[in-house]
Amino acid sequence: MQAGRRLRLPALRVVLQAWPWGLLLLALVGVRLSKGAGFSDVYALVSRPFWPGSAQGEWIRSAQSLDDQSRLRQLEGDNRRLRGLLELQGRGGPEVAAPVISRQAGGWWQQLLIGGGELQGIRPGLSVLAPGGLLGRVASVTPTTATVALLTDPGSRVGVWVGRTQRHGLLTGIGTSRPVLRFLEKDPGVRPGDVVVTSPASTLLPPNLTVGVIQSVDDRAVPATEAVVQLSAPVEAVDWVQVRLP
Amino acid sequence: MNRLARHGWCVATALVVPWLVLASPGPLKLAGVPPAWPVLWLLPWALVDGPLSGALAGAGLGLLLDGLHLGPITEIPALALLGWWWGRLGRQGPPIERSFNLGLLALLGTALLGASLILQGLLLGWSAAEAWLPAPALHTWLAQTLLTALLAPLLCSLQLLLWRQQASGGRG
Repeated sequence: MQAGRRLRLPALRVVLQAWPWGLLLLALVGVRLSKGAGFSDVYALVSRPFWPGSAQGEWIRSAQSLDDQSRLRQLEGDNRRLRGLLELQGRGGPEVAAPVISRQAGGWWQQLLIGGGELQGIRPGLSVLAPGGLLGRVASVTPTTATVALLTDPGSRVGVWVGRTQRHGLLTGIGTSRPVLRFLEKDPGVRPGDVVVTSPASTLLPPNLTVGVIQSVDDRAVPATEAVVQLSAPVEAVDWVQVRLP
Repeated sequence: MNRLARHGWCVATALVVPWLVLASPGPLKLAGVPPAWPVLWLLPWALVDGPLSGALAGAGLGLLLDGLHLGPITEIPALALLGWWWGRLGRQGPPIERSFNLGLLALLGTALLGASLILQGLLLGWSAAEAWLPAPALHTWLAQTLLTALLAPLLCSLQLLLWRQQASGGRG
C-alpha cells in the first residue's frame, strides 16, 4: 500500500523534467487568450506568396465594371423613357467614331477637322464627344470631313448646368484652353471643383454631357458671377472622337 | 514681271500653305501657336514676282485659308496688302536678301495680319469683344509674330533663291 501511494504522487523531479510541455501549454493558452494574434501573423507571413494577386483583382474589377455598365444601360433606358414622357430632348442616337485629322487648338481659330462627314450621317450642329466629355459642335461638313468648333473657340456659346447648385450658365469660349462660364444670377453658390454638364433644358445639345470642372470663381464680375472651367476632354491628346447622331 | 506665275508648278507650291495649316506640325509651334504659314510663302513670292502677282497671290491664299477656318473673319485684305507691299519693295532698290531684312519683313507682315484679325473680331463683334483684346489674342499675336520672324530667314531665303532662279529662267 505504501508503495502504491508513492506511485500516485508525481515526483517533483518528473514535473521539472516536463518543462517543455509546460511551455507549449503556456503558448497555447497565450494563443487562445490573444484570439490567435501571433498565429495569424505568422500564417500571413508564411502564406503571403499565395495571396490573391493582380489577376484576381482584375477579375473583380472586370466584374464590377460589367455590373456598372449594365446598370448604366438600364438607367439610360429609364432616363430616355422618362424624358420621352416629359417631351424633353433625349441624349441623342447612335454615335459615329471619327479620327482627328487636323488639330488647330492654338492660334486664332480653335477647331478640329475630323475624318467623317455627310457620308457617315454627320450634320452641322451635332455634338462631338471625346473620352472625358463634350469637345464641341460640328460647324460644317463635307462629304468625308467635318469641322468641329471647339468649346474654347471665341464663337462658341453653350448652355450648361451645375448639378450641385442646380444653376444654369452660358459657357463662352475666349480663345484659351479654359472657357468662361457666365451665370445668370449674381450669387450662384458655385465653388471650384463643381462639375459642369450640358443643360438638361438645352435644345441644341443632348443633356447631361460632362463638360468640365470649375477651376476658379470670380464673384466680383459684372453683371454676374463668372467661373473659369477646365474642360474634362483633353483636346490635345484626343485622336478619335464620337459624333452623336440625332 | 509675273514671271513666276507662268510656271504652273511654282503656283502649285502655294498648296503647301493650307497643308501646313491643317497639319499644324507640333515642333514648329511656340506656346501652342503655329507660325503664319501664308506669310512665309508670300514674302519671297512677292519680292520676286512683283506687286500685282503678290497681291493676287495674297488674295488667292486668303480665299483658300478662309475656307478652312470657322467664322466670318478673313485674311484676304491683309494678305493682299502684304503681297502688294512686298512686291513693290522687291521692285524698288537693291534686291532684299539679308536674313535680318527677311525676318523684319516677316515680323511686320505677321503683326499686320494679326492686327487685322483682331480688328475684325472687334468690328464684327464676333463673340465677346473681350475675347479678342486682352491676354488670349495678345498671346497668339505675339507668339505668332515672333515665331514667323524667327523662321523667315531660314525658309524665305531658300525660297528666294529658288524663285530667282526660276524667274531668271536659268534652270527653269
